[in-house]
Amino acid sequence: MSDQRIFARYKASEIRTDLQTIDVKKIKSSVTKRKHALRKIIANLTLGNYVEMVVLFPDILKFWQIEDDLEVKRICHEYVRTIGALKPRFVIDAMPSIRNDLRSNNEQLQIMALETLVGIPFFKFTDEAFNFIMTMINKRSSSPALMKSAVYSLLQLDEWDHERVMTLLGVLHGIFEDHVGLPTVQVAALKTLYTLHDKTKNLKPLHISVDTALDLLGLIPQLNEWDVSNLLECLVTVVVPQTHDDSYDMIDIVLPQLQHVNTSVALKSLEFIVYLLNYVDEISETVVDRLSNSILTLLEKPPELQFLILRNIILLLLTREKPVVKLEVSYFFVEYNDPIYIKDTKLECLYLLANSNTLPQILDELEQYSTDIDIQMSRKAVRAIGNLAVKLGAEAAETCVDVLMNLLEFGVDYVVQEIISVFRNILRRYPDRFQSDVRAIVEYIDCAQVAESKNAMIWIICNYSHLLPNYIELFEVFCSNIKSETLDVQFSILNSAIKFFVRDPSPRLENMCLRLFNFLTEDVNNPDLRSRAFLYWRLLSISKERVDILTPEVLKEIVDGELPVIELNTKLDQNVLEELELNIGTVTSVYLKPTGQIFHTAKTKHLKDSPVLNSEKGHLKIIKQDENEGPKYETTLENKGVIRQKLQRNSTMNDYDRPAEKVNELKGKRKSSTNNASKLARKPSLLMRKFSLKKKF
Amino acid sequence: MINAVLVYSARGELIVSKMFKPTLKRSVGDIFRVQVINSLDVRSPILTLGSTTFHYVRTPGEGLWVVSVSRNNENSAATWEFLYKFATMLAAYRLDSEEVLKEEFMLAWELLDTMVEGGGIPSETDPHRIISAMSVKPAMSPVDVRADARQQQTTTSTGAFGHAFPQLLHRASNPGGISILPHATGDGAQLKRNEIVMVVQESISILVSKDGSILKAYVDGGIDLTTKLEGAAVCQFGLNDSLSTDNSSNSKWDPLRSKETQGTNLEMKNAHVGTVLLRDCKFHQCVSLERFDRDRIIRFTPPEGTIELMKYHVRDNLNLPFKVTSMVIPTANNETDYRVTIKSLFPGKLSAKNVTMRIPVPPGTLDCKINVSNGNCKFLPEENAMVWKFHKYNGLTENKLSAITVPTRDTTQLALQQWSRPPISLDFEILMYSNTGLVVRYFTVLDKHNNNTKFKTVKWIKYVSHSGSYEVRY
Repeated sequence: MSDQRIFARYKASEIRTDLQTIDVKKIKSSVTKRKHALRKIIANLTLGNYVEMVVLFPDILKFWQIEDDLEVKRICHEYVRTIGALKPRFVIDAMPSIRNDLRSNNEQLQIMALETLVGIPFFKFTDEAFNFIMTMINKRSSSPALMKSAVYSLLQLDEWDHERVMTLLGVLHGIFEDHVGLPTVQVAALKTLYTLHDKTKNLKPLHISVDTALDLLGLIPQLNEWDVSNLLECLVTVVVPQTHDDSYDMIDIVLPQLQHVNTSVALKSLEFIVYLLNYVDEISETVVDRLSNSILTLLEKPPELQFLILRNIILLLLTREKPVVKLEVSYFFVEYNDPIYIKDTKLECLYLLANSNTLPQILDELEQYSTDIDIQMSRKAVRAIGNLAVKLGAEAAETCVDVLMNLLEFGVDYVVQEIISVFRNILRRYPDRFQSDVRAIVEYIDCAQVAESKNAMIWIICNYSHLLPNYIELFEVFCSNIKSETLDVQFSILNSAIKFFVRDPSPRLENMCLRLFNFLTEDVNNPDLRSRAFLYWRLLSISKERVDILTPEVLKEIVDGELPVIELNTKLDQNVLEELELNIGTVTSVYLKPTGQIFHTAKTKHLKDSPVLNSEKGHLKIIKQDENEGPKYETTLENKGVIRQKLQRNSTMNDYDRPAEKVNELKGKRKSSTNNASKLARKPSLLMRKFSLKKKF
Repeated sequence: MINAVLVYSARGELIVSKMFKPTLKRSVGDIFRVQVINSLDVRSPILTLGSTTFHYVRTPGEGLWVVSVSRNNENSAATWEFLYKFATMLAAYRLDSEEVLKEEFMLAWELLDTMVEGGGIPSETDPHRIISAMSVKPAMSPVDVRADARQQQTTTSTGAFGHAFPQLLHRASNPGGISILPHATGDGAQLKRNEIVMVVQESISILVSKDGSILKAYVDGGIDLTTKLEGAAVCQFGLNDSLSTDNSSNSKWDPLRSKETQGTNLEMKNAHVGTVLLRDCKFHQCVSLERFDRDRIIRFTPPEGTIELMKYHVRDNLNLPFKVTSMVIPTANNETDYRVTIKSLFPGKLSAKNVTMRIPVPPGTLDCKINVSNGNCKFLPEENAMVWKFHKYNGLTENKLSAITVPTRDTTQLALQQWSRPPISLDFEILMYSNTGLVVRYFTVLDKHNNNTKFKTVKWIKYVSHSGSYEVRY
């Protein structure tokens, strides 16, 4: 029976026979067999086979009493928890056994029993749990592990009996303010309180005094990594500095934690420091250096964590005009083996970091990616180049467009399509520049296959028709295919046709418009498109018949007006940014959305008022050390920095070169490495030699 | 708070489902299977549906899915960090194989009970403490756990989406790489009493562009420590980092000086300079961070066994171990002509092991005609690359490769032009060589209770440099 697979669906009767047959022969080897049978129960619960397993409750109770083995106990508790969550009243018979375990001397068993009590939504279990927790808290001598689970289990009990937990808030306050308590229990109490305050709608956010916070921070050397992370997480917005010195003191304590190897600790320290920066007027540059270095080192973590860090870098770059981190762009160059989600995020970082100094470097990289084998990636790179051109102003746009024009010659259709699309945006941002490139773009008219690029192409032809002598022919290709186009392309064909006609009311264009109107008003099902066609049709006919009402100038104004220059808007709302900065490292930092949008019940965190709160984030001054040396020294320092950067950028492999002591030159001819075929074609003499070799077979 | 931890087989069979929150619906397991495991187009390691968030990682090897479920604005950093540690512990107990896990899944439950506090708050992830709290000892020694963890990192970082360079990963599997020391093998249990082995591991990553300019170069380093001591000891050591060697002056975090050192370092580029500018270091939790901050002294009480004591990151003034130059020219008949030179730049008396260069060839290549001055080079059609191997590569030596591809008949000029040209990559391992020039200046072991008596210990130190991603574009 033990050779049966454990992880498979069984009927209750099958497992029961397993359990009983072994029970009869009371030999030692039956212990393992019995465990096998019990494991089958858990496996079946995992598989969702509840209906059958419920039947086995009496058997479980029996084994619970006779076995002392921890694994058996664990199975029993898990069974009761799983079934109890579904049918709370049904498992009440397990109460004596649970109580028994609760009173045992084994700490692990006690914790297990408490967890079971807490997990079942039935008042008898809940009462028992409360009683146990109260005795634990009152009896100061209990072990830290047990105390901690007692404190944490209040979080779950809160869902069953909210009022009763609320009466215990004072007790929790007492625990974490207790100076002689166990540090790890203090943190547990703080975390529990913090979560309770966060969960409960009508409870004000938790607040603790600066002195208590400093006491708690003083505990850090005695805490393990997860407690440190919890502590720092809870302190954000909970402690509000009243003077600049408060903030500086706390920053000084937390700074070393930035170097912790646990990502959570490092990131939470960063969050806490960034939070405190709202309550100081200036910080030393070394703090900025340490924040930046800390976050960059985290980039060598496994990809999932790397992804999180990159998202948070975006967050830090977005939240402040002058970011509190200084990052070199080369960290965000995409590596060939990066998972796609990291590549995407790195691209976003590059986009945000771009300025006139870093542009050449970044453009070089993006050009590389544009020829990447991953289609998505190369499209995104092209798009990023286009966005950079729009973001960085006319001069930078020149360089970007040069790159795009180079890529155009590369000639792969998805790249070309993307270039067409971004080129429209560039033209809208800088209407008077790049006219010489328009013709080059239009040559690729056949490549425009996707709706977006078709739209862009139509727009370009329409707005720069004065540069294109054959614009009507080009446009007619689209017109003749209008039936098979998507809705938005149909819209833009209509709009453009009208514009052409208004500019140059020639019979040829009139005919074209009429054909379009006929088709759009009779054969098209979409009401919006149909009404738009009717609208234009009437407009044109009014302007023809009643020139006194609608002069050609007015008509032109209506149909072919000036377009506003577009701006790329990467800035989020101030309040959202403030909230995001208080949520570094959390789920919302990955999505960069306000907490309320993702978690509807969550409270929004915001900066609390204090005499030293900065009204504007930009007011934070970053000062270099050695102020008394005066500005003269600073400039030389900056110069050095510039030189250094330049040198670094231009450093090549050759700088590291040194003469080789030994140079192996190529000898002989190139040979095929997979030359199985040629072996047969060997000279007969060689074959002979091979056979005559004295070798053991 | 993590509300549940789920472990699935690679195909999506739910094997462990530990609910920390009783109100969580059991069907949550099916949701993840449908939305992520069975879905082909997932481009992110996190998924939020409604207000339920799934964080997940995959184990190296069989690729089990280790998933956490949470329903609040969870600390993602802690969640992923925990999932990684949990996956490592599963591996230590050999539970990272579906077959074993299906038999011994109760061990996974016990692990979760040990590592997570009631309510779903991670509380303990230190392998030594976990193992001492467990009823069963793991199948692998803690050293292997960690080596495995490192391998996991390499695998996931290089091959999470398509194991592109499987042959490049072998170096990571050498557990800690300690085995060459006279009698200190990688296994902590075989150390004699009062021995400390310190391994400085560095992996250098570099990206070189077509014209030979270095786009980025950095070293991720770490110091591993294997300890076996009688009684409690306090260890202390110092490095030649630029900040601690300039202790004479008043301010330790003086940016001016560090910039100056950078300046001077620059002039003496790739000379063996005296100090190293550590951009950032991270320490194991036994190190007193306050003390390091104040005096730049690394002081700690080491736990028994192997730990990763510190990690650091260096970007300035590196010693590059290899120079690779390449000329890749398409010729007539759609062939591609390769001329590659590799030169070792480290001192002549050292040698590198397992030097492997992977040279990608255009798609549609049938064969390559190769001539190399040394080493062994083969064309691997299944990987679309030539692989050039040296078992041993001496310092200051130059070797050349000349090769030409044999394309299929239907290869077009255009296909060659559009070939994305993945970079040439290099893999190697060099012993007793540090890419950063980092040196442990002193290492003392003191009695914990009486700070003046020195502990009699045997101390070993070893430097290993290997390649991170060493890539050259052409």
